[in-house]
Amino acid sequence: MKLDILNAFDSSSLLKEFNANSSKSIASSALAKLKVPNKKTEKYRYFDIEPLVSKDWKICETKEQSPEASGKKIVIENGALLNSGDIDGVTVELAEFSDIDAEHFDGLYFLSHLMAAKAIVIRCSKDCSLDIEHIYTSNECLINYRVVILVDANTHCQISDSFKGEAKDSFILSGYDIFVSRDASLKFIKTHTLNSANYTPIFTSRYKVDSNANLKLSSFDFAFDNGLNIFRVDLKDSANIDASHLLYATDSAKYGIVSEIVHEGKSSTSSQIAKSILDKKARGIFDALIRVQNSAKWTKAHQNSKSVLLNSGAYMASKPQLEIYIDDLEASHGSTTGQLDNKQLFYLQSRGIAKDDARKMLILAFAHEIIATVDDEYLANKIYAQFEQAYYGTYELDCMKTCVGCEESILGNE
Amino acid sequence: MSKVLEIKDLKAKIGDKDILKGLNLDLEEGKVHAIMGPNGAGKSTLSKAIVGHYDVNVTDGEIIYKGKNIVEEEPEERALDGIFLSFQNPVEIPGVNNAYFLRTAVNARRKHLGLPELNAAEFLRTMKAEVAELGMKPELINRSLNEGFSGGEKKRNEILQMVMLEPEVIILDEIDSGLDIDALRAVSEGINKMKDGKRSFLVITHYSRILDYIKPDYIHVLKNGQIVHTGGSELVEQLEKEGYSSFEEK
Repeated sequence: MKLDILNAFDSSSLLKEFNANSSKSIASSALAKLKVPNKKTEKYRYFDIEPLVSKDWKICETKEQSPEASGKKIVIENGALLNSGDIDGVTVELAEFSDIDAEHFDGLYFLSHLMAAKAIVIRCSKDCSLDIEHIYTSNECLINYRVVILVDANTHCQISDSFKGEAKDSFILSGYDIFVSRDASLKFIKTHTLNSANYTPIFTSRYKVDSNANLKLSSFDFAFDNGLNIFRVDLKDSANIDASHLLYATDSAKYGIVSEIVHEGKSSTSSQIAKSILDKKARGIFDALIRVQNSAKWTKAHQNSKSVLLNSGAYMASKPQLEIYIDDLEASHGSTTGQLDNKQLFYLQSRGIAKDDARKMLILAFAHEIIATVDDEYLANKIYAQFEQAYYGTYELDCMKTCVGCEESILGNE
Repeated sequence: MSKVLEIKDLKAKIGDKDILKGLNLDLEEGKVHAIMGPNGAGKSTLSKAIVGHYDVNVTDGEIIYKGKNIVEEEPEERALDGIFLSFQNPVEIPGVNNAYFLRTAVNARRKHLGLPELNAAEFLRTMKAEVAELGMKPELINRSLNEGFSGGEKKRNEILQMVMLEPEVIILDEIDSGLDIDALRAVSEGINKMKDGKRSFLVITHYSRILDYIKPDYIHVLKNGQIVHTGGSELVEQLEKEGYSSFEEK
């Protein structure tokens, strides 16, 4: 199937094409209006979308099967639920899902929903910590699936989202619909190393953060090939999001984030920080809008993007934007792109540290601010390892690099 | 006395501006040399030229250290060979752990000298003892390198690095600037502790105050990119009375 041919379809033809029932009419209407993106679509301007939407894809069928239910990890392979885990307070099921974000800006979000007859629905009804692992093994096909996470009211959860597998020349079209209910909190930590000549992922998601709820969204993308993370966030009264993004992209990867954070409720707060490290001919994308609607009095909205270019061929498309419809708020945004600081580099060299090692030290330091936002020490160290593996090709375990207060544990082990 | 560092007819620019204009200076083994001079004379440029700072373009002359001209050497090669500069304004590096940085530097030097590297416990034990001796706050060990340090803490951290790296030539660029009297005393004690009759010191300063604490063997007056006069510690008094104007440029 070629996705761009869908641009000739109206809403009802889209429903028919995907054998979808009327509960998906929001998706079909929105897709008929927004269209499948092409190179002229503003949000995809810096990304190579044409090869993905013009290719005749074999659709990877996800077979319904009885998943295992063991361990603390939920495993999804090629879009099918392989293991639903056995986690206290967490239920996982396949279900039809129709609570689609009608205001989403991305055509592929709606297409993904239309194509997915059912979604993997994860409900957290007790405080919990769980892992979700996505495995991609099917080559040369389009793998589409949706995951829904419901965090019940007054519940506090941490989810670690990770990726595995080398599906050659496949297109992953997927994403989350995450609902953080009133007075609940979710720490969602996504770590993804995308090797070269692998699949191309477009994750297109929505997050709805209810009154007094808190979402801490941390993404760590280490990319040797193309991929895009698209998301839209709704913030209700006194809701908060802290979004931190670290991107390391190299080779000819075009990778990044396109996002919209919408303040609907009063006293809602948002902070979005992106750091990008770009090497060789990589292109980083940070196209992020924060919109403060006229209902959202007394909000705070802060956004910042910092990028380091390690090579003259690297490029950063940084577009932080604020769209504000009220007067009574606190807001800021900024963007800087540059190279490593010569003064810092020289200081390290002047102490006998070789230039290459000094550069590595500074790169790790640049990434540190984002990785340090993960307050789970085990997970943070895993992310450091993954980043160093992607950046240096090796990883040396040394807690002194990153730990605060590790001296006691070192001296205590004598 | 043997010369540990010889600077011969050194000419250097920063940008298009000629700063050092044929400077000659010999550092003797185990001696403390003080460089004094007015603002803009080239004192900091001299220190930067010795350590290979990227701002300084050496256009002519030689810096002979351990029998070889080091003008073309990378900064890290000079440091590994034992040249240490205590910076006037040490840079802050958020995200680089102070202890991890210093252990990397110490082990790079030890490896260069053919000594076994220190493991984390050995290093931390030594570092903590030195931190206590210098009157530094112990928590500075685990902070990011110089980030949020006060002026005095930064200077103490420079001295901590100096003590741990055990260099052979120590250049102190305005080490006294921004220090209160207690910090000045602690820093000076750290420096004096390093005197072993072998190490050479080059103390660059505007003011004679630091020389009350670190007694110089020689004082060199630097004006307009050249050493215009060399004398003993008695020069301090003359400079205090008459200023730099009494010393003619060559």
